[in-house]
Amino acid sequence: MEYEAIIGLETHIQLNTETKIFCNCKADSWGEPPNTNICPVCTGQPGVLPVLNKAVAEKAVLLATAMHAEVRRVSYFDRKNYFYPDLPKGYQITQFDRPIAIGGYLDLPMPEGYTRRVYIIKLHIEEDAGKTKHANGYRLIDFNRCGVPLIEMVTGPDLRSADEAAQYLIRLRQLVRWLGISEGNMEKAHIRCDANVSIRPKGADYLNPKTEIKNVNSIDAVREAIATEIQRQIREVEAGREIHAWTLEWDEDAGVLRKMRSKETEADYRYFREPDLLPLVIDDEWKSQILADFPELPLERRARFMAQYGLPEYDADILTTERALSDYYEAALQAYNGDPKRVSNWVINEVLRLLNERGLSADQLKVTPQYLAMIIRLVDKGTVNTSTGKALVVKVEDTGKPPKQIVEEEGLAQVSDTGALRAICEKIVAANPDEVEKYRGGKTSLIGWFVGQVMRETRGKANPKEVQKILRELLG
Amino acid sequence: MMELLRMEAHEIAAAVRAGKLSAREVLEATLEHIASVDGIPGSIGDDPEAEPDKIHAFITLTAERARAQADAVDAKIVAGEDPGPLAGVPFTVKDIFVVEGTPSTAGSRILANYIGPYTATPVERMEAAGGVMLGKVNLDEFTFGSSSESSAFKPTPRNPWDTSRVPGGSSGGSAAAVAAGEGWLSLGTDTAGSIRQPAAFCGVVGLKPTYGRVSRYGLIAFGSSLDTPGPIARSVRDAALMLHVIAGRDPHDATSAAAPVPEYLAALEKDVRGLRVGLSPDYFRIVRAEGGELVEEPLPAEIKQAVLDTAERLANMGVEIVEDVPMPHNRYGIPAYFVIARVEAASNLHRYDGVKYGYRTPDRVADMREMYRKSRGQGFGLQPKLRILMGMYVSAAQYSERYYQRALQVRTLIRRDFEAVFDPEGKYRLDALLTPTTPTAAFPMGAVYGDSVLMQYADQLTVAANHAGVPGISVPVTTDADGLPLGVQLLGRDFDEATLLRLARAVEEGAAFTAKV
Repeated sequence: MEYEAIIGLETHIQLNTETKIFCNCKADSWGEPPNTNICPVCTGQPGVLPVLNKAVAEKAVLLATAMHAEVRRVSYFDRKNYFYPDLPKGYQITQFDRPIAIGGYLDLPMPEGYTRRVYIIKLHIEEDAGKTKHANGYRLIDFNRCGVPLIEMVTGPDLRSADEAAQYLIRLRQLVRWLGISEGNMEKAHIRCDANVSIRPKGADYLNPKTEIKNVNSIDAVREAIATEIQRQIREVEAGREIHAWTLEWDEDAGVLRKMRSKETEADYRYFREPDLLPLVIDDEWKSQILADFPELPLERRARFMAQYGLPEYDADILTTERALSDYYEAALQAYNGDPKRVSNWVINEVLRLLNERGLSADQLKVTPQYLAMIIRLVDKGTVNTSTGKALVVKVEDTGKPPKQIVEEEGLAQVSDTGALRAICEKIVAANPDEVEKYRGGKTSLIGWFVGQVMRETRGKANPKEVQKILRELLG
Repeated sequence: MMELLRMEAHEIAAAVRAGKLSAREVLEATLEHIASVDGIPGSIGDDPEAEPDKIHAFITLTAERARAQADAVDAKIVAGEDPGPLAGVPFTVKDIFVVEGTPSTAGSRILANYIGPYTATPVERMEAAGGVMLGKVNLDEFTFGSSSESSAFKPTPRNPWDTSRVPGGSSGGSAAAVAAGEGWLSLGTDTAGSIRQPAAFCGVVGLKPTYGRVSRYGLIAFGSSLDTPGPIARSVRDAALMLHVIAGRDPHDATSAAAPVPEYLAALEKDVRGLRVGLSPDYFRIVRAEGGELVEEPLPAEIKQAVLDTAERLANMGVEIVEDVPMPHNRYGIPAYFVIARVEAASNLHRYDGVKYGYRTPDRVADMREMYRKSRGQGFGLQPKLRILMGMYVSAAQYSERYYQRALQVRTLIRRDFEAVFDPEGKYRLDALLTPTTPTAAFPMGAVYGDSVLMQYADQLTVAANHAGVPGISVPVTTDADGLPLGVQLLGRDFDEATLLRLARAVEEGAAFTAKV
């Protein structure tokens, strides 16, 4: 029988606010010693009270808007009560039945050519708990992460394969970075994901019991864990066994799923309204302030790049991975005022390489979009050859000087003076009688070697076409 | 010395600010008095019957800290600076507030070893205003009670008017200390009457401000939506002085209100002529459930008479007395409170788990669960356990609709009772309601404790103000046949403590009541 997978994802997105959600500790403690970024509030000392960091609500509104979700004018905070050593208050402050936003969707263009629309059930704000580590028979607790702001977003059971789930995370990561609400670094657990997985015969309209996979914290892990679980469920069903509502944990190193617990009975968290916080009211005025600079979203921009500039899907996709890169591209194109595909090639090949090598973002470059446009123009006009142009990108980045100044200072302008080139060519031919003989004996592929010698002599500045023409004449 | 002790707090502050008294001499006189009347402080496992003629208000007396504060006040005077409106006034703090560097116990074994890492906002404000903190006073464990007898710290406070009787609770140590002259002011908390009832029992003034008027930051939470810090003092003027210092928005408390804080002392000077004060039959009886039936009991005649006499005196001062004001939902205040306060309390007590601070079982344990169970089982006394059990039960998913959600609806109805009678366009247009504070005078120690339900019906006259969030004040007006003080209560509009204090001052002025000290 043919099966289809039914997958829903719960993601936790760590926001990049300055301070924690309910106190003035820094939000980011990455790499800091345990229990050094804490205060009475986030460690749940007796008598303390939470005060909402407004930036958290603002970032949630940005994400909700980008997900086409409905932002509620009034939402509430609730207490989720449970005991765990790294939960210092014994309850988590979260949003339960009246979250900040409901509904919405995200479209996933799949490499196969179709688009999967994933619906969002709800989006809410909550605080993170601390971290527990087991060592030498002790349970060690680090409270640094307590109170780090999170958005939890829950999708409908709309994904149909491990690849689609991975694509959802790729697009979500792109979106949160695009909006500037999270670093979106999965290695640092800025996006954490739990996956609910079930299978059914293809075309069926009912849902079978699902398992929940916890702690899958990279895109590859999500793909692998879900694929593994789908295969396991198919094997179970084929063998005539039932699927139980287990909670599973993905062991990334071993590449296996382990059963954490049976989940037949739901825990009762005894939710009730958090009396220490007022209802969160997002009135029209605040909302329009938050959305005043709301950007064009990545998929919209991708489509526009294809329509407006005639770029291939491949180029449009790469150029819109990051908002800064796509801004860079458009600024360079505007300054260049010519063929969009030519600018795209330079950005994708030269600029992207530079960004990757140096770990920079496009808005941090000293080779500004204007400088890039100048460099391409210099190549177009034949002032420098293509390889010098490519080298110029790096030189401008290193020095911050305008391209023309570097060309002048280093004498990089292309030598197209036939007389000068002819003299050099004659010298090379005279100095290499053996190669000349071989060439004349039929090994014409040696022409490239001769061109190389001339380029070396001119330190790369010679116009290679001209050189070839002269050499053929001399050797022929 | 007694002459000094009989001065009012505002007089002490004025004398200190004028250089006529030094903060240090006020403090030393107070410490000497405490040494003679208070007896041993409450401690874990001590004899509840020890020194039965002493007050036992304190858990922790911080004499050295107080001396340093008094000296700092005096140094300011010498330097020509103003130490503030509480200059040199010794005060006590109910041990439900966290104060940096001092044991902050909540009257519970589970926090007996807990030293505060920060200072509660109202305490900080009193100290910044030149007040001198004497130490932390005893209370019902986590404020759960009305007699202070549930504290794990024994002996528990006794009533200065008759040490065989309770001082009330849960701010029993606060009221007893103020009544006995152990400091002029005390910072208490009121969740269902815990400031007003002990104030009435001990013959002092107790003010529960509007919810949000005074920051809760540093108040170890019981029922977070009901808890209100407030002053206990020997006079209305002193309560007004203290409220002005502690009131106002606090960035550490999201539920604290930005409403402006008026000059309460100036408000006392205004005439009460023309103000409208209501009397409600619903405050002259106690209604309680017994075996599924509602049983209605009238209040003792003495209690009712104290209110009627007060009303008559106010009428003579030109106050309009409005009779038969209906407060029909007052009778549901206690059952709704049982549910709401317990749900919040159970959650608020979650953090005491033996992991981070406070009591952890010394027993060998097999696993984490057992460590939790034993630490909480051994650390909490009976009252927190009862509240946790019921709070967990009524907030469980399958019961929440039936109990918790319904209790919230009842709370809304109680709030509407007040809105209706205070509505300036409405039928009654009241400035305040005048009621008894308590259905009885102070009861003997050991008499009601243990009968938790009955004890809490004693809060029926005070709890509605906590549900509604409105301010209330208890003022002593007379003594009963046993010579025990009786108080009357005024309930007022949101954030209108000024009018309430003005009326309370008139009540105090007309009453034939002499303080214990």
